[in-house]
Amino acid sequence: MKIDSTAKSLTISIVSLLIFVTAWELVCRLGFIEPLFMPAPSKILFRAIKMIDNGQLIAHTLASTRRVMVGFMISSLVAIPFGIFLGSSRFFMAVFDPLISLLRPLPSMSWIPLSLLWLGITETQKYSIVFMGSFAPSLLYIIEATKSIDPLLIRAAKNLGASKLDVMREVILPGSLPQIIAGLKVMLGIAWTCIISAELVAAREGLGFMIMNGKEYFQTDTVLLGMVMISITVMIIDVVFRKFERRLLPWTR
Amino acid sequence: MDTLTNGTKISIQGVTKIFSGKRDEVIALKELSMDVQDGEFIVIVGASGCGKTTLINLVAGFEAPTHGQIILDGQPVTGITPECGMIFQQYALFPWKTVQQNVEFGMKMKRMPQKERQERAARFIDIVGLKGFERSYPHHLSGGMKQRVSIARSLANDPKVLLLDEPFAALDAMTRQVLQEQLVRIYEKHRKTIIFITHSIDEALLLSSRIVVMTARPGRIAQEIVNDLPHPRNADVQLSNRYMELKRTIWDSVQAEVMKSMEVETH
Ligand SMILES: Nc1ncnc2c1ncn2[C@@H]1O[C@H](COP(=O)(O)OP(=O)(O)OP(=O)(O)O)[C@@H](O)[C@H]1O
Ligand SMILES: [Mg+2]
Repeated sequence: MKIDSTAKSLTISIVSLLIFVTAWELVCRLGFIEPLFMPAPSKILFRAIKMIDNGQLIAHTLASTRRVMVGFMISSLVAIPFGIFLGSSRFFMAVFDPLISLLRPLPSMSWIPLSLLWLGITETQKYSIVFMGSFAPSLLYIIEATKSIDPLLIRAAKNLGASKLDVMREVILPGSLPQIIAGLKVMLGIAWTCIISAELVAAREGLGFMIMNGKEYFQTDTVLLGMVMISITVMIIDVVFRKFERRLLPWTR
Repeated sequence: MDTLTNGTKISIQGVTKIFSGKRDEVIALKELSMDVQDGEFIVIVGASGCGKTTLINLVAGFEAPTHGQIILDGQPVTGITPECGMIFQQYALFPWKTVQQNVEFGMKMKRMPQKERQERAARFIDIVGLKGFERSYPHHLSGGMKQRVSIARSLANDPKVLLLDEPFAALDAMTRQVLQEQLVRIYEKHRKTIIFITHSIDEALLLSSRIVVMTARPGRIAQEIVNDLPHPRNADVQLSNRYMELKRTIWDSVQAEVMKSMEVETH
């Protein structure tokens, strides 16, 4: 019954995608749109084949993916323990609250000039942009997640002899993990916007660079190909993340 | 069964507990004093809101008394102590841990070597009759099974005192009876000191060596009754004159306090 209906919606989705792409192709072929503004899907596909052939497409995609992953990993690895610590300590929460409140509203874009000044057009600069863009919001997600824990469980843990550190490691971390992961999934999307904007401004490779470069040479098909690649990559990573999530949260099955 | 009274285990001395809210304050307990002997099975009954939970939370060290003190084994209780294992009505199992991991928790906190604690946990899982469920997560278990895990988790940690706050209230009658019998067996075998809260007079009579009736809020002790019913407390005992007599005494006492607490509320 359930499989039936998911198969059904999948079929509908595929058909709808085909109709959309065909309509787009037709509109372009019939000359309703200037190719410079909007190339036909077939032209984007040809561009893709060409760029796969010379290795550029994979190289740009991998460059952006690596930057997102490294920046995001570092940000999460710092934010998770720090967030759990702040979530369980009223004192340190009060200490760091003003700093977090100041950092949080800053879009990652606003860090680009400073980071270029400090680090130049380097990989470290890219990682730091992802880090700055995702750290403060991740931290807030994690602090919020620690508040969802049933205080009775903390009581029970202490009653069984758990120290403060034990409570953080054994109760607060696993107890807030489902929500932390949900938050990090959103943050991963934000990390992508960070890296693309950083690459649009200054880079020598990556999907953002590819898009900007395509625009410089009036290759609208390259621009659109870059955009399509961002969507596909983010989708693939989302699927991988979901698999990973299930393995991390065996008790929610 | 005669209670082994090798001295006072818990001494509650003139304890008052006041909860102060924004506008008013609630006096939950007022100058309550009581001694619990080693190996006693105390059952506390009393009207809803009279401060039973507050009292055992104080014994467990979850909260501090406003006045007075609680002495456990000659030492004042100043914080949460693993010596008093608490069994909650809501089970309070860790949903992300399997039955085995839940039962191992206290021993893990004591940094007991893994092999030793695995064996010990397996033994207590067996005692509560959950062999075969070691690898299940709590949300796959029924309420009765969850409460058994919680009991095993507490026992495996070897506390001197077991505190149970209406542990079987959410269970159906059959499961409740099975768990009551299991608890009596554990009590007889391991000789823990137990404080048990219930609303059921029958449960109190089946389990206790002494019954404490609390007054309406602010909670004090209205009456203490030594439960001299013979063991095992089977159907014959439950139909005996002595059982009926005790039940009536407790009933009258609780009833009077419930009436008082209702009067307080309507005024
Ligand atoms: N944390 C708290 N803050 C304020 N008031 C509280 C708090 N805990 C308990 N009280 C009040 O203290 C009184 C005693 O509560 P307690 O939970 O000990 O009653 P109880 O005898 O366990 O009741 P029940 O049989 O319904 O479980 C109640 O009036 C309750 O509202
Ligand atoms: Mg209560």
